[in-house]
Amino acid sequence: MSDTAAPLTQDRRKLEMAALSAPAVFFTVAMIAFPVVYTIWLGFQTFSSTGKQSFAGLANYSKLISDYEFWHGLWITIALFVLSLVLQLVFGVWLALVLFNAKRLPGIVRSLFISPFMMPPVVAGMMWLVILDPSLGAANYILQSFGLPPSDWLASPTWVIPTVALIDSWQWTPYVALIVLGGLQSLPPSVYEAAQIDGASPFKTFQRITLPLLLPTIVTAAILRSVDLLRFFDIIYITTQGGPGNASNTLNIYGFRVGFEFFNIGYASALMLTLTAIVFGAVLAFNRLRGAVAW
Amino acid sequence: MKAKMLATRVALPVLAIAAVSAQAHAADFDWMKFKGKTVTFLANNNPVSQALLTYKADFEKLTGMTLKVDGYQEQQMRQRLVTVMNANSDEVDVYMTLPSREGEQFAAAGWYADLTAMAKNDVAKDYDSAGLSQALLKAATFGGKLTSMPMNLEGPIFYYRTDIFKKCGLEAPKTIKDVEAAAEKIKTCDSSVTPFVSRGLKPAVAYTFSNMLHNIGGTYIANGKSNLCSAKGKEALDTYSRLLRDFGPPGVVNYSFQQISALYRSGRAAMAFESSNELRTVMDGGARLKDTGLLPFPAGEAGQVPTTIGWGMAVSSHSKQPDAAWYFVQWATSPEVQKKMALQGIAPPRPSVANDPEYRKWIDEEPVRKEWQAALDVLATKGSSEVGYPIVANPQSREFIGQAVQDLILKQKPIDQACADADKALDALIALN
Repeated sequence: MSDTAAPLTQDRRKLEMAALSAPAVFFTVAMIAFPVVYTIWLGFQTFSSTGKQSFAGLANYSKLISDYEFWHGLWITIALFVLSLVLQLVFGVWLALVLFNAKRLPGIVRSLFISPFMMPPVVAGMMWLVILDPSLGAANYILQSFGLPPSDWLASPTWVIPTVALIDSWQWTPYVALIVLGGLQSLPPSVYEAAQIDGASPFKTFQRITLPLLLPTIVTAAILRSVDLLRFFDIIYITTQGGPGNASNTLNIYGFRVGFEFFNIGYASALMLTLTAIVFGAVLAFNRLRGAVAW
Repeated sequence: MKAKMLATRVALPVLAIAAVSAQAHAADFDWMKFKGKTVTFLANNNPVSQALLTYKADFEKLTGMTLKVDGYQEQQMRQRLVTVMNANSDEVDVYMTLPSREGEQFAAAGWYADLTAMAKNDVAKDYDSAGLSQALLKAATFGGKLTSMPMNLEGPIFYYRTDIFKKCGLEAPKTIKDVEAAAEKIKTCDSSVTPFVSRGLKPAVAYTFSNMLHNIGGTYIANGKSNLCSAKGKEALDTYSRLLRDFGPPGVVNYSFQQISALYRSGRAAMAFESSNELRTVMDGGARLKDTGLLPFPAGEAGQVPTTIGWGMAVSSHSKQPDAAWYFVQWATSPEVQKKMALQGIAPPRPSVANDPEYRKWIDEEPVRKEWQAALDVLATKGSSEVGYPIVANPQSREFIGQAVQDLILKQKPIDQACADADKALDALIALN
């Protein structure tokens, strides 16, 4: 009697748990699935400039192939991604090492070091727009006071991407440093004691021990930053709106303008889904890399 | 003669009935008709709406309605509007619109409620629809439907520093060539200032460039094709970009109204071509109050054809309460409210308000305000509302105009290529019309 009663109670309990959690699960899935499914559907529609809608099949996707702005935007997106990620990883690891070794640094100074990423990107964009203004900004004043020539910064087609990468790195390097600092604090001290006994120099210790052991943490930071960098939007929107010309017209900015300024929601959806696929691809690649460097 | 008499016999009673009917409507009009309702207003957070919303409580007291304000910066406001309208949502009842920019597009998409009948029949006694700028009402009429009511009158005007002009022995420019000559002289006479500044940011260029193009005698479209590569078109592109490249501030390709006003207000520009709406910002702090002269943009070969536009208030075609929404539009564009806004520096779209003694007294308090009003009078009488191409895809057309100007400022293309590339892209847009 008791042998059959126990599984029945267990089954009933499982059923109750499923029933109780079903609304939350349904709500969560719907919240994620609806926008994605709706965007996929929109990607198969065409909207005239008056907003009239009709089925377009794969026309939006075939248009991508011959659209110069798409390829240009993709190139700008990748250039910005690579430049920013390299800067943020290199300086993030460096900053983490500084903070890790400077154990006597007061808490307030540590907080100041990591404060930029707490600032909303729009505020950061506005602030740097003022600093980098070629006529009124502080950046050129500083350059000129050291006898250096002024720069057009965000107004130069050549320098706009490095400048945007610098702004983003100013904001997000502390975030990378915070992740890496967590990784540093979890490294086993015994390995360092052994290296010290063997007489390894600080550089060798960093090269042979710290860096390989930190690699999984660094890759995690890279994954988190990659998602943001490939979808880069706010700072460019605030500072250049994709200009000068189309020198900073990333895929995300281009898609936004096609959708919300030119009202071609169908093509904008196709652009955004392509960008989503690129982001997924990058995350999968980094995940594989993380698997390869795990210890 | 018989026909004339017949016409008179028929017309007089019709007019009389119409007048009696209008009076009856006005007499029946009750501001409290929609008491208890809530009207949602999607506002562009600019000086026009800021001045209007100072009196929000007055509207609520007068009508017993609640006014819910959803305010954003201009681009974000349009983004929100596009989302709401594409979803056929009724969350917005009234929104601000620029007929010169999106009028054709929104009208073709059916996003405007038709205000023709409401503006004629459902008005308070003192509303005076006919007293609104007829040019602006015409600019807001698409396919015979009145789509919005004008909130203000504005356009780019020419700001110049009288002290610098005096120091350099210059007189106020009368022609575009005088502007260029003055810039050349200021460059050597006072190297601490930027001789000339105007809009260089790609989507913002069309606002000021259109005035230059029209003054020179150019048109955007000729024989159904884009006309930037015509002699006049090239002259306008060349002059506008040369003025900015040779005499503008570094980084001018990122300049819109905020940067221009900041540069001029700080005393670092001798001439600026910017919106009449920026007067309040430019004069903020009082540093430029006594050394600024204002003019409509100097003439070209075709004389002065200033750009004149105005923000309008439209009722959403998806609103479930267009009548209540119209009450808000009517209150906001009434002579009484527009007079109050005018005293805050918002140029009125009603000649009666512009001639009001109290407003005139405010204008006469400062010489710079007198010049501002004189420039606005020229805008009101001679202005063209064509900013960018008069096609459904007007916002996109502004991109290509801006691109051509930036290509020239940055010396990325010779003029023949810059205008040809723009014409090619613009012909494709015109073909979609």
